[in-house]
Amino acid sequence: MIKIAIYGKGGIGKSTTVSNMAAALAEKGLTVMQIGCDPKADSTANLLNGKKMNTVLDLIRTRGNDFELDDMIKTGYNGVLCAEAGGPAPGRGCAGCGIIAALEKLEEKGAYDKYSPDIVFYDVLGDVVCGGFAMPMRRGYADRVFVITSGENMSIHAAANIATAIDGFRDRGYAELGGIILNRRNVKHEFEKVAELAEDIHSRTIGTIDRCDLVQSAEDIGKTVIEAFGSNSFANQYRALADNILNICKGDYENADKT
Amino acid sequence: MLLKNQTSSIISTYAADVSGVCSALFEMGGMTVMHDASGCNSTYNTHDEPRWYDTDSMVFISALTETEAIMGNDNKLIGDIIDAACQLSPEFIAIAGTPIPMITGTDFSAVARVVEAQTGIPSFGFDTNGMHSYLLGASAAFTAIAEHMVDTDLEKSKNLSVNILGTTPLDFSVNSYLGSVNAWLAAQGFEIIGKWGVGARLCDIRRAKSAHVNLVMSSCGLEAARTLRRRFGTPYVIGIPINGKFSDSLAFALKSAATTGECEKAYHTDGGSDTIIIGEAVAAGCIKDAAYKKYGIKMHVLCPPDTDYEVLPCDSQALGGENITRRILASAKRIIADPLYMPICPETAEFIPLPHEAFSGRIFRESIPDLMKTF
Repeated sequence: MIKIAIYGKGGIGKSTTVSNMAAALAEKGLTVMQIGCDPKADSTANLLNGKKMNTVLDLIRTRGNDFELDDMIKTGYNGVLCAEAGGPAPGRGCAGCGIIAALEKLEEKGAYDKYSPDIVFYDVLGDVVCGGFAMPMRRGYADRVFVITSGENMSIHAAANIATAIDGFRDRGYAELGGIILNRRNVKHEFEKVAELAEDIHSRTIGTIDRCDLVQSAEDIGKTVIEAFGSNSFANQYRALADNILNICKGDYENADKT
Repeated sequence: MLLKNQTSSIISTYAADVSGVCSALFEMGGMTVMHDASGCNSTYNTHDEPRWYDTDSMVFISALTETEAIMGNDNKLIGDIIDAACQLSPEFIAIAGTPIPMITGTDFSAVARVVEAQTGIPSFGFDTNGMHSYLLGASAAFTAIAEHMVDTDLEKSKNLSVNILGTTPLDFSVNSYLGSVNAWLAAQGFEIIGKWGVGARLCDIRRAKSAHVNLVMSSCGLEAARTLRRRFGTPYVIGIPINGKFSDSLAFALKSAATTGECEKAYHTDGGSDTIIIGEAVAAGCIKDAAYKKYGIKMHVLCPPDTDYEVLPCDSQALGGENITRRILASAKRIIADPLYMPICPETAEFIPLPHEAFSGRIFRESIPDLMKTF
């Protein structure tokens, strides 16, 4: 089982990218689980025809411990196993603690044992703003963290901040930084700026997704690009990215596509 | 009036998980650090730890400040622990959480890994948060010891031998009972290898593998017993000796387990009575059996929250909130419980006090019975 956490600035396209990678890997016959770690609980919507699902914290809030593992998991496109941590009402409680409680509940109910996924994606809200949002990179959770950024300055700052957090945890046995994913916004000197970021944080850009209207078109109908426009060459960018991440996590960076 | 589940407006509550960690490890020669401002420390040493003033131990509070909590400054905690450890050379280091670090998401396992890497001293982190009962904390602490501190290169003892697991003062106080248990085991021909709780010595506990059987005397000791069974194949028997015929059956179960390698729970009596006993599951289950053997009385048992399913007696349930407990007690004719339950017991019921340190602290300590003498 390979566990991967995806971080990056809010709105940078984490859920879109993760959902497309999940769909692409499921296409290859792998069992993929995607766990949204965001109180908005919209990580997996495009794998579920645009529908939101019961979150783990909703279940805990309404039913205590009186629910089953299957109540927390929905099967989406191509068999992708979907879960949403959820969170407290906006402006209340502690979202970070919510992530901890939700991930512990998934483990307690046997999510990894029962489904034995080949790949688990943790799609984590924005920046590592508190201890709770570092939960997916703790020992026993993700093996590698990948950070999504564009060439926009705020996005690059967020990515650098996440890398700082990972570096600060290096003596704790947490996940390692696997690389940077460039989700293009077509800003000036985008490749150069992200390359500079990679150098600053001693990492590398492991994949690039071009800006493309097909993403929005697919989302408008509640689907991933892989599902809605799978035969379009643009979908191959997600497939290539997913393959790269898989190879890196298998310790096989030499076979990763470095273009 | 607040009458929700899991609230107590009249009766007390059970000692918290963090006190359970400290209590379990108190005499083992390790250093235990509660990560908190100070409140958990005073609660522990005032209400939950009868050994505080007359037994040396290394239990500390981290004196967490508001700024450190907000900033998530684990390095201050780590640095202070390492400084103290360098001065005191503890056998191990335990770091236990409290409500504030839970809210800031402190990763105690990771903190322990850093401390262990820098000191070379075995270190354990416990995700206690003050919101569970002492049973979970004490259980986690004993389990960590069973997992990491027991020598693996020992043979079984030549004499018939036993480890006693789960005897914290929170369940057994500090009266003559545990001494009576030791004498009883000796009279049954058992050499006691290690006492996991009161009277603990780490040098003995390290030899746990050499015992033929483990005696699980509370819910706190069960997970450690399972760990020792998984690691070394040692069977366990769940029960406490009580004056009378029940002890004979417990002794038989212990000897049988030592021979067959099969685990057993020593109490089996059905319920179905209007007598209710409230107490730690193993003790209450054994009292229930002993009372049936001696007086023909059957009982329904109520146990503290977080009790492990395996130790629950027949016809028992874990305690919910005060109002739920009050409803259950309403139809009882006879109630055996800590005196602090009395205010929610019906006046028509006969009340027999059975003080429980984890519930009422030191208040009724002098009247906690030695069940090997006064049953």
